[in-house]
Amino acid sequence: MIRFFVLFLLLLALLFGLELTPWAQRWFVEPWTTALARISTSLVTLFDSGVQATGKVIASTSNGFAVSIEAGCNGIEATIVLLAAILAFPAPWKHKLVGVAAGIVAVQGLNVLRVISLFYLGQWNRDVFEWAHLYVWQALIMLDVLVVWLVWVRTLPPVERDAGPGPPPASASAAA
Amino acid sequence: MKSSSGRSPLARFVLAVLAWLPVTFVVWYFAAPLILWPATLLTDLVARAGFGDLVTAVEQNAAVVTFATSLKAGQAIAGGVVAVEVNALLYSFGLPMFAALTLAAHEPHWLRALAIGYAVLVPAIAWGVLADFLKNIAITAAPQVASQAGFSPIQRELIVFAFQFGSLILPTVAPAIVWVLMHRGFLERIRRVAA
Repeated sequence: MIRFFVLFLLLLALLFGLELTPWAQRWFVEPWTTALARISTSLVTLFDSGVQATGKVIASTSNGFAVSIEAGCNGIEATIVLLAAILAFPAPWKHKLVGVAAGIVAVQGLNVLRVISLFYLGQWNRDVFEWAHLYVWQALIMLDVLVVWLVWVRTLPPVERDAGPGPPPASASAAA
Repeated sequence: MKSSSGRSPLARFVLAVLAWLPVTFVVWYFAAPLILWPATLLTDLVARAGFGDLVTAVEQNAAVVTFATSLKAGQAIAGGVVAVEVNALLYSFGLPMFAALTLAAHEPHWLRALAIGYAVLVPAIAWGVLADFLKNIAITAAPQVASQAGFSPIQRELIVFAFQFGSLILPTVAPAIVWVLMHRGFLERIRRVAA
């Protein structure tokens, strides 16, 4: 358990520190955020044609309202937390890779919903937008990370408890 | 495996969390002046100990923490000093999240778990508030104010990291970690039912 938590915190600090470097910002964060804006806009245009994406900004062509996807709203930090939790947890690498792939899809899928909902909440009521943006969606995204991690832990093969000093039982190693 | 009620324990837990979240958010928002008071005290203590030459007072009004500093505001406001306001709600929304998780798990001694979790999370809130203040005076303030603060380039980089970590990671990750640590038995049962 201690090993898991130490590894989790180290990976978290490492990945987060890496994310903040200018190199990662230019070659990963910015393209990722731009892609997120485009995907969100593509989905929105299925039912609302008056929306367009420019870089990381999603704008309404009818009333001029726009949202810019900034750090904390692109889902990268939540993905980093999930990656650190899955990679640090004692499990076969095959399970880890599947968990990472499925986890990224789950977290980013909900994040697309967050971006789209905030885009419309902002046009409806600025106070509700601020609340949802600053507090509610932050908690929901992290809850998503926790649930995805719990579901992943449940899919792991049972731990051989009498096979020597192997990995600790799931409950004693959990974190998100 | 499903429970006798037809839903898996994890699904029931998630639904319970979603049901508790609005309640805990409302309580957190309206009780913020009281709930955030210990975090303000800790912030005051650390600010005076670590940055006593910069911080002259730390006060809380509702959920806003105000830092009075010894920094001069500039020539335009002769004699004025800089005060920085920080919205502590930005760094404490993990509290209602932790409370919802704890109440949804419905384990024995949940009240004790809430109290311990709160005590553990107060320093994380103080971290965020203090890092926000430091970011304000060292990074985003006007050059004539930032230069008075006297931070070296390395210290400024550390402040940026502390602020980003305190705003993007700590508010959500800290409650999840504390909750997991305090509910290992609950998690074990969830996994056992699934096996």
